Amino acid sequence: MLKNPGWEMLIVCYFFFGGIAGGAFFAAAIADNFGSARDGKVARVGYLLSLPLVALCGVLLIADLGVPLRFLNMMRTFKFSDPMSIGAWMLGVFGAFSFACSALSFTASESMIALRRKLGFVGMFFGFFLASYTGVLLSATALPLWSDARLMGALFLASGASTGIAAISLILFLIGASTGESWRKVTRADRFSIIFELVVLAALVVLLGSAARPLTMGHYAPLFWGGLVVAGLLVPLVIDFAGHRMRALTAVASVLVLAGGFILRYVMLMSAHS
Amino acid sequence: MARTLAMFTDTTLCIGCRACQVACKSWNELGAEPPEWTGGYQNHAHFTDQTFRLVRFIEEPRPNGDMAWLLMSDVCKHCAQAGCLDACPTGAIYRTEFGTVNINQDVCNGCRYCVSSCPFGVVSFNEDTGTAKKCTFCNDRIHNGLGPACAKACPTESIQFGFRDELVAKAQKRVETLKGMGFKDAQLYGADSNGFLGGLNAFFLLLSKPSTYNLPENPKLPQRNVFVDSLLSVGSALIVGVGALLAFRDRGRNDGGPDA
Repeated sequence: MLKNPGWEMLIVCYFFFGGIAGGAFFAAAIADNFGSARDGKVARVGYLLSLPLVALCGVLLIADLGVPLRFLNMMRTFKFSDPMSIGAWMLGVFGAFSFACSALSFTASESMIALRRKLGFVGMFFGFFLASYTGVLLSATALPLWSDARLMGALFLASGASTGIAAISLILFLIGASTGESWRKVTRADRFSIIFELVVLAALVVLLGSAARPLTMGHYAPLFWGGLVVAGLLVPLVIDFAGHRMRALTAVASVLVLAGGFILRYVMLMSAHS
Repeated sequence: MARTLAMFTDTTLCIGCRACQVACKSWNELGAEPPEWTGGYQNHAHFTDQTFRLVRFIEEPRPNGDMAWLLMSDVCKHCAQAGCLDACPTGAIYRTEFGTVNINQDVCNGCRYCVSSCPFGVVSFNEDTGTAKKCTFCNDRIHNGLGPACAKACPTESIQFGFRDELVAKAQKRVETLKGMGFKDAQLYGADSNGFLGGLNAFFLLLSKPSTYNLPENPKLPQRNVFVDSLLSVGSALIVGVGALLAFRDRGRNDGGPDA
């Protein structure tokens, strides 16, 4: 009889916001380094979004501990093959990059922007790490649903990218900046990451085989199929292909992708309880 | 490191008296818990933060339609390759000089990663202390020349305590004897230090296949997945990265449309 760790809403939120922080930062760094000058707005939104989220991540992680004040005990070890240990360290490292790039988002100085690009490029790899390590962490447990497919990290990374970019897209819409080539680029990047997430999710379910049953047939199956697969991935794709001229619809698609990303973490953690 | 200590639980000698379970609770000051209906005499169903030794009462159907008792006093296996120890991000879970695995209650911060990393479902979370709990191999006793409380209390020597190499030799002899008596499925579980998890420092003699006793046939170290899963994550990071790169790449043409 295997035991689940009893990770619930705090950790669901942590995984969710960590994914968005990593994904938004990565999209920002790509836009900053490889986009045009006009994509600078996308970059600034991405950097500035990642900072409060990564701070929130730290708070959520600490709050979930049995003895929160002993959080610092994680800083007395560094275990290379332990996702939890490395993750705690990398959350701090990513936070530093996120802070620096956010601070440098308020400057107009060319040399400072050049520095932001360099920091963004390096920080991007830590963003990838933050988005994916939580999946690797789950796969390094004894629970078959989490560990048997070895694709949990890849799936969380894909979801981090799709939700991170969707969050940027939504913010651009809300601040009335959802026009022009930059906006189309964001939409294009999100479309790609959603398709990739669908592919990884399908591969994960197939590889899990009977171990996927709590997910696909259990108590959380309606949420998995309806909330994640249909509403969180397929509907946004259809909206994207069919009506991406309508900006409000694209914003709806972004909200759906974000909800799907939350549901993904929720069903993954909660269905291991059954 | 001192010579490795072990507990050998010979399930053929267990009479289900639960003296081990009570001795463990008494010595380790573990509280009583509300009983659970398990469909048989066993209580509790699983290891908890207050139950480190647990006598399993397993009913096995015989060919003639009768039921046979299989009794097994189960405990933390103190694996040579311990998933809980590898998972612990604070270093609270450590290996003693005797080869046993222990949780330093003053360091554990209650992240609960070890709970899901135990291939046997042993480690449990205590809501009151906010820390992870499991069998300590009576760490205080073995450091003062005493055996674990459970082994001390066992009236049939079903639980034996001693040096691992000596106990393994003894256990192997016992399996041969049992086979000679006609128990053809008699087997050791976790005695082989070249076997799964590098061998268990609390190993067992079973009369049937491990799954009959709710033990995994081939438990694996959870951390074996880290490398492959990380590699696949890096691969997907590359794919997502290239996708975004293609989307954002400045193709050298004028950005269409007015930017707001």
